[in-house]
Amino acid sequence: MKTPFAGHALSLTRLLPHLALFGTLILAWEIAVRTGLIQSIMVPKPSTIFAAIVELYFVKGTIWYHFFVTLTEAVAGFIIGAAIAIALAVGSSLSDAFRRYVSPYAVVLNVTPGIALTPVIIAWFGFGMGSKIALAAVISFFPIFVNTLTGLTQTDTDREELFRSIGASRVQIFTRLRVPAALPLLFAGLKIGLTTALIGAVVAEFAQATEGVGVLMSRFSFQLNMGASIASLLSMTLIGLILFYSMEFLDDRMVFWRREERREAVSRKRARAWKRRG
Amino acid sequence: MQRHAVRSKASPDQNAPVVSGSGVGKTFASGTVIALEDAGFSVPKGRFNSLVGPSGCGKSTLLRLISGLIEPTSGSLQVHGEEVTKPRQDVAMMFQRATLLEWRTAIENVLLPSEIGGRVTSEDRTRAMELLKLVGLGDFAFSFPAQLSGGMQQRVALARLLQTGADVLLLDEPFGALDEFTRERLNVELLRIVTEIEATTIFVTHNIAEAIFLADEVYVMTPRPGRIAKIIDVPFDRPRELSIQTSPEFNHLVEEARDILGAH
Amino acid sequence: MAEATASLGPSASGGLYLRTRRWLTHAAIFGTLILAWEIGTRTELLDPLFYPAPSKIITSFWRIYVTQGNIWKHLYVSIGLVLAGFAAGSILGITLGSLVGLNPLVRRFIKPYVIVLEATPRIAVAPLLIAALGFGAQSKIAIIMLVCFFAPFINTLSGVVNVNEEKLELFKSLGASKMQILKKLVLPEAVPVIMAGERLALTAALSGVLVAEFIQRDQGIGALILTYTRNLNMASAFACIFTLTIIGFAIFKGMELMDRYIAFWSHEDGMTRVSQNRNVRWAKQGWAR
Repeated sequence: MKTPFAGHALSLTRLLPHLALFGTLILAWEIAVRTGLIQSIMVPKPSTIFAAIVELYFVKGTIWYHFFVTLTEAVAGFIIGAAIAIALAVGSSLSDAFRRYVSPYAVVLNVTPGIALTPVIIAWFGFGMGSKIALAAVISFFPIFVNTLTGLTQTDTDREELFRSIGASRVQIFTRLRVPAALPLLFAGLKIGLTTALIGAVVAEFAQATEGVGVLMSRFSFQLNMGASIASLLSMTLIGLILFYSMEFLDDRMVFWRREERREAVSRKRARAWKRRG
Repeated sequence: MQRHAVRSKASPDQNAPVVSGSGVGKTFASGTVIALEDAGFSVPKGRFNSLVGPSGCGKSTLLRLISGLIEPTSGSLQVHGEEVTKPRQDVAMMFQRATLLEWRTAIENVLLPSEIGGRVTSEDRTRAMELLKLVGLGDFAFSFPAQLSGGMQQRVALARLLQTGADVLLLDEPFGALDEFTRERLNVELLRIVTEIEATTIFVTHNIAEAIFLADEVYVMTPRPGRIAKIIDVPFDRPRELSIQTSPEFNHLVEEARDILGAH
Repeated sequence: MAEATASLGPSASGGLYLRTRRWLTHAAIFGTLILAWEIGTRTELLDPLFYPAPSKIITSFWRIYVTQGNIWKHLYVSIGLVLAGFAAGSILGITLGSLVGLNPLVRRFIKPYVIVLEATPRIAVAPLLIAALGFGAQSKIAIIMLVCFFAPFINTLSGVVNVNEEKLELFKSLGASKMQILKKLVLPEAVPVIMAGERLALTAALSGVLVAEFIQRDQGIGALILTYTRNLNMASAFACIFTLTIIGFAIFKGMELMDRYIAFWSHEDGMTRVSQNRNVRWAKQGWAR
C-alpha cells in the first residue's frame, strides 16, 4: 500500500514552495489578528508565539528540563510496556494453551480505555515520574502485543514446509523464519506504541504532576498565556517527532529488504564481507 | 444514449479497416523508455488479431493507445476512420484481472457500462441478463464477486465487456491469471461469441499457441524498442476446435513465431 | 495506518468435551486469580486501601448502580458527549480526507502539516481548548472532536489515494466522468478503510471524554473516577473502570456489527444477505430474468 504522499527527496527547489506557503499562512494569520479580523484569546499572533518560543527555549531555556522529564517518562514507559508485550506475544505464539489463557485478559485490556486508569495509577505510584511511566506502559502495551502476535503467528505454509523438509528444528524455524517475517508488523506496533506512550505520559502529567511539558502546558493555558502554551505544545510535537523517527530509522535498518536503496546497500556490504573471507 | 446501435454505424465498406495505425510510437518517462516504435497495422471488420511477445515488447502499450487511455508520441491511430484522442464508446477493454466492483452483484457489474452511459433502461437489464446466460452464469446473477471463482469472475468481466455494445474489443491477457484448463475453455467460448457478434477483436497475450489458436492474424512483437517484428497469417476457419493445436500446420506457425522471438 | 487483527477470540474448534474442559480451565484460572486477590487484601499483603478486594468492587457496583444509583447521570453525560464529539470529528475527518485526497495540489502541500499533526499527542491540546472555550460541554466536545478527527481523516485520505489502478482504467475506458468515478468507484472502495478509521476514532473519543473530565472535574464518568480515587474509595473507582470496559466492549462489538452492515462485501454472511435482498428487489420490479 502506498502512502497518501509521494516520497520526495529533500531539495531546495521542492522546499521553496512549501516555505512560501508556510510564510504566507503565517503572515496572513499575523495580519488577521493585528487588524482584529480574528478576535479571540485563543488565537495569539504568530509573533507572540515566536517570542514565547525564543524565551522558553533559548533565553531562559526553562522548557528543556520539562522536555527531558516527559521524554524520559514516555521512553521508560514504552520500554516496559514493549518488553512485557513482546514477552507475552512470544509466549502466546509458541504455545496455543498459553495464548488461549492469556487472550481474554488481553481483550479486556484492549477494550478498556487505559486512560481511565490515570487517577488509580497516580494513587498507586505517586505524583512523581513513576505514575507517568506506569500509565505510558499500560496504554502502549496492547498495540505492541497484538501486532507482534499477529506477526509471529502469520503462517506461510510453503516456507514452513521448506524449513521442515531441510530438517530445521522448532527453535530454528522460530528464529530464522517466524521472527524475521514478524519484524515489519512488530515495528508497526512499536511505532503506534511509542505514540501512545507519549500520550500516557502527558495525560498523567495533566492529571497530577509538578514537572514535565504537560504541566507547563496546562499551567500556561490556565494563565491564558496562549503564546507560551502553544510553545510548550510544540515541544510535545518535537518529542513525538524524535520518537517516531528514531523508531522509523531502526525499522529501516532492521527490515532492510523493504526499500531498494537499503537492499542494495546491504547487498554490497555482504558481497564485500564474502570477498574478505575469501 | 443507445449504445447498442453503434455497431450498425460501422463503415459500409466491408474492406475498410476498423482499426488502423501508421508510424505509431510511444515514449515514456522523459524520453528514456521507448515502449513502442513505428507500429503500422490495419484490422478489418470482424477480424481477430493477437499481439504476442515477451514483457516490454509494447503489446499492452499498443492496446492502451488504441483504447485512447494514453496518447501516442508519434504517428496516427484511427478507429472507424476517426483519430483516437480519448476513450470511445465503440471501443471496450478487458483486463488481466476481472476488475469487478466487490460491492456489486454480478448483474450489477455487467450493468456498469450502461450506468456510466446514462440511465439504465429495461432493455439494458434484459441484455445484461442475456449476456450473463451467454457466458454461462445465469444462475449467479446475484452473487458477489467474492463468491465466484476466478474463471467465473472473468466471465462476468466478459459479459460486462459485451454489455458496452462496442464493436471493437480490446483484451489484455484476459485469462492469463487462470489455470490452463479454464483458459482453454474460455478461449473457445470467446472465439464463438466474437464470431457471433462480428466484433473486431485485438487480443494481447504472451502465449504463442494461444495467440495463434485465437487469431486470424498474429502480430509478433519484440522488445527494446517495442515493435511489430512480423505479421503471421493464420489460415484456420472459425469455429475452431482445440484439436487444431496438434496439427502440423499449427505447429509450423508456432515454430515461425518462436524463431522470430528467439532470434531477437 | 496499519492495524493488526490477531486471532484473540476463543477458538471454536474442538469437540464438546474439549470445549467444556477449556471453559472450566478458563474459569479455574480466573477464579484462582480473584481468590488470590481477595485473600491478598484480607490478609493485608495487598494494602486494601489501594487495592480493593473483588468482593468490595462487586458491592460497589451494586451501590453505584442500584442503591445509590449515582452513576447513571454521569454515564448519560459522558456518552452524550462522546457521541456528539465523535459524530462531529468523524464527519469533519471524512470530508477533509476526501477533499485532500482528491486534490493533488493540496495533497502535495499538506504533507508537512499532517506529519506535525501526527507526531503531536492531539489530546495535549485539551488544556488550551478548555482555556479558550471555558469550562463546560462546549470545550469537552471540542476536545473529543479533535482526538476523533485524525484517524478518519488519514484513513479516508489513504483510501481515496489508493484507488485500484486497473479499475480506474476500466472506468476511464468506459468514458466515466470524474463525478461517476468518485461515486461509483473511489468512495465505495474506500469504505472498509474509512470504517477502520471510525473504529479507532470512537475508541479515541472515549479516552478524549475522560481526559476532558479529568481536567474539568465537574461531572461525567471521568470526574467520578477522579473523585472516588481522591477519597480513596478505590472499589467504586474500579467499578467505574469496569463499566468503561463494558462500554468499550460494546463499542467494539457495535462497530464490528456496523462494519458487517456497511462493508457487507467483506463478510460472507453480509454478501449472502444483500444478494438475497437484491434478487428479491429485481423480481419485485418484474425485470428480465
